[in-house]
Amino acid sequence: MLQGIRVLDLTDESGFLAGKALGDMGADVIKLEPPTGDPARRAPYLGDIEDPERSLLWLAMNTSKRGITLDLEQARGAALFGELVTSADVVIETTRPGALDERGIGWEAFHAAHPQLVWCSITPFGLTGPYAAYAANDLICVAMGGNQQVTGWHDRAPIACSMPTAYYHGGPEAALGVAMALFARQSTGRGQRVDVSLQETQLQTSLSGPAQYALDPSRNAERRRPGDRMGHSREIWKTADGYVSYGLRGGPSRIPNLMALTEWMAECDELPDWLRDYDWSGYNHNLLDREGFRPFEEAFGAFFEKRTMRELYANAVERRFFLAPCNDAREIAEHVQLRSRDFFTTVEYDWLDVALEHPRGFAHASEDGIQVRRRAPRIGEHDGEIYGELGIEDERLASLRREGVVRDADA
Amino acid sequence: MQTPNLDLVPGVFTGINVIEMGSGAAGPVATRYLAEQGATVVRIESSKRPDFLRVLWLTPDSEHGLEGSPMFAMLNPGKHSVAFDLKQPRGIALAKRLVEWADVLCENFAPGPMERFGMSWPALREINPRLVMASGCLFGQTGPHRTYPGFGAQGSALSGFNHLTGWPDRASTGPSGTITDSLAPRYVALAIVGALIERERTGRGQYIDLAQVETAVYSTSDVMLRYFANGEVVTRDGNRSPHASPHGAFPCAGTDRWIAIACRSEEEWAALRGAMGDPDWSMGPKFLSLDGRKANEDELERRLGTWTSNFAPHALMETLQAAGVPAGAVQDFEALQYDPQLAIRQHFQLREHPALGPLQLEHAGFRLSDSPPDYAAAGPMLGAHTSWVLRDLLGLTEDEIASLDADDVLV
Repeated sequence: MLQGIRVLDLTDESGFLAGKALGDMGADVIKLEPPTGDPARRAPYLGDIEDPERSLLWLAMNTSKRGITLDLEQARGAALFGELVTSADVVIETTRPGALDERGIGWEAFHAAHPQLVWCSITPFGLTGPYAAYAANDLICVAMGGNQQVTGWHDRAPIACSMPTAYYHGGPEAALGVAMALFARQSTGRGQRVDVSLQETQLQTSLSGPAQYALDPSRNAERRRPGDRMGHSREIWKTADGYVSYGLRGGPSRIPNLMALTEWMAECDELPDWLRDYDWSGYNHNLLDREGFRPFEEAFGAFFEKRTMRELYANAVERRFFLAPCNDAREIAEHVQLRSRDFFTTVEYDWLDVALEHPRGFAHASEDGIQVRRRAPRIGEHDGEIYGELGIEDERLASLRREGVVRDADA
Repeated sequence: MQTPNLDLVPGVFTGINVIEMGSGAAGPVATRYLAEQGATVVRIESSKRPDFLRVLWLTPDSEHGLEGSPMFAMLNPGKHSVAFDLKQPRGIALAKRLVEWADVLCENFAPGPMERFGMSWPALREINPRLVMASGCLFGQTGPHRTYPGFGAQGSALSGFNHLTGWPDRASTGPSGTITDSLAPRYVALAIVGALIERERTGRGQYIDLAQVETAVYSTSDVMLRYFANGEVVTRDGNRSPHASPHGAFPCAGTDRWIAIACRSEEEWAALRGAMGDPDWSMGPKFLSLDGRKANEDELERRLGTWTSNFAPHALMETLQAAGVPAGAVQDFEALQYDPQLAIRQHFQLREHPALGPLQLEHAGFRLSDSPPDYAAAGPMLGAHTSWVLRDLLGLTEDEIASLDADDVLV
């Protein structure tokens, strides 16, 4: 989709996913890292052998990118960056707002001379405003974006996901902003600046909750009772071997699913009499309070607790009720539906003599694929190739290496 | 039947025509990204099978019926609505005529309806070879579970986010909301824009088969690689991080008020100690390194929480940020309404809804420097633009429209 588009990727881990998505869509993404290696090349490591080339975070999030080293702190490094920018269509970066502009190597410096350039900044709060200079990581962005206050249990502190969900939202959001700017450029010839706020990407996770508050202050955020996630009814249920998600929410389109579950319970001879005689045509979850849900929860809970996640899910698929297992990575890796769609692809790590599976891509596209196109780069792997493409002669590259502007593999 | 003039905003997609079929968030939020950038988005709906967001909170007392859902109006701003009964051949014929007009068709039905309508990709590409069609159901168009009827709650469970969010000593919890409904739309929109970019080069449209669950698992590529490489099953750990400590939400003055704090380095920890006035407990050897703080994290969190509970969250955030400590108030929906950073980014936009009055509408998490987002209106009344579409877009005569009306096709 994005063949012929060159992207310079100056992101830290908060933005790796943006360049990965663009690279998986066919863009030529060049990941820049310091000559000493990116700080995100950290544990856990492949085989638990401490080695920046074995960092699983790095290997997972920098597929479909080539990699070069460049010390932006040095003046010659900054100058070389300027040369790289002139060869690029897009820059994606995650530096503190204004940091690159102060040094004359930001959007301000390049866009006048290079008006077709698209420049994307991914920052915790955006480029301007009272919080723009605030230091933050994923946790702070989730907290400030409204998702943390509503996540967790009412008797403990609010929590965030143990994986970085603001980064997971910010990556595709940035890639989308870049793609829109590239689409606009096809008719205007001009690039523009894409200003991503990780905080702002988090509001969508509340599916208009923050906006609904203005309409009705009783809709303010609160964490739920044990097992709840939405409304006052149970969402997460214990099974014989783990947990499943099942909602008691109704509405005409969902009642058949509740009935399908009770039919199965009846076949197992485990349907309480009152539920066998229940008139579902009158069911409306909006009219039930916590007490009203309790008999349903007791009946379904007792049924679920005797069964495994696998058995419950197999029946949900066959009988069409909306129950799903709370999968972990192993269960996802073995999932028959994902496997049947070839969702995992094998990537060779030649120098380690191993091959590892990765998620293949975020969608299937009928023309050119969206998929992992190459493994993540080793430190400085494409220095010679890419600086060569830029027309930098061997002698100059050797000098840059001696000065530590570019990694000197022999040093 | 109303016959409003079409309200449009200028933007990246001015002149791009989009048909939306489907419901909920995963598809409609994707086309919202296009609508806030000037695309003409027409939803094909029917009161005979309304979008579940229109009915999810409906009770017999609901004042505005199908028009009374704030969530629907907020997830579908800037769009237009036609009412075609697709159970009737003449309704399907109208939808197919609209395909000739469209650049994009986005749908998120579970597989089945589009084929029944005769509107699967092979048929539509015959009608309009430049069409970009995106299907975004839970599990994709192929595979044994393709017709499994899931919503976001199941997506969150199946893709691992429930398992990854919560306390280690308690059940799976999941991020509040339905995370596939906020991750998937970004990728749907990204794939659509990528396909539009490619169309400029090839002259051809294409088909996108996107599975919501796959976009979520793709986002956690690092979690999957840790499993494939080392057999590690990443699990939930409250707010804690292996790479930072303290890293959590700490109580503040007031009821259910919290501040998120994350110290990723010794410098940030030293800055936090300084902000607390270097209390004796913080200076001891056991908190002097990340390893020490991780080993004594229960005590660290208890002591830090005792200190933070003296302050209001926003005041403490300002103090800590001034000292160089990553910190953010754990904001509820009310706080988001008054957040000065979101205000300066104009995250919320007020538009009048015919039934609900003034509504806050929310924008994407990024800003394009040459093309600010805008919505001409809140989400449409069902069928509000039927006449306009039939007359002005499809060129039907008044007699033809009257005949369709008489046969209840336009409901």
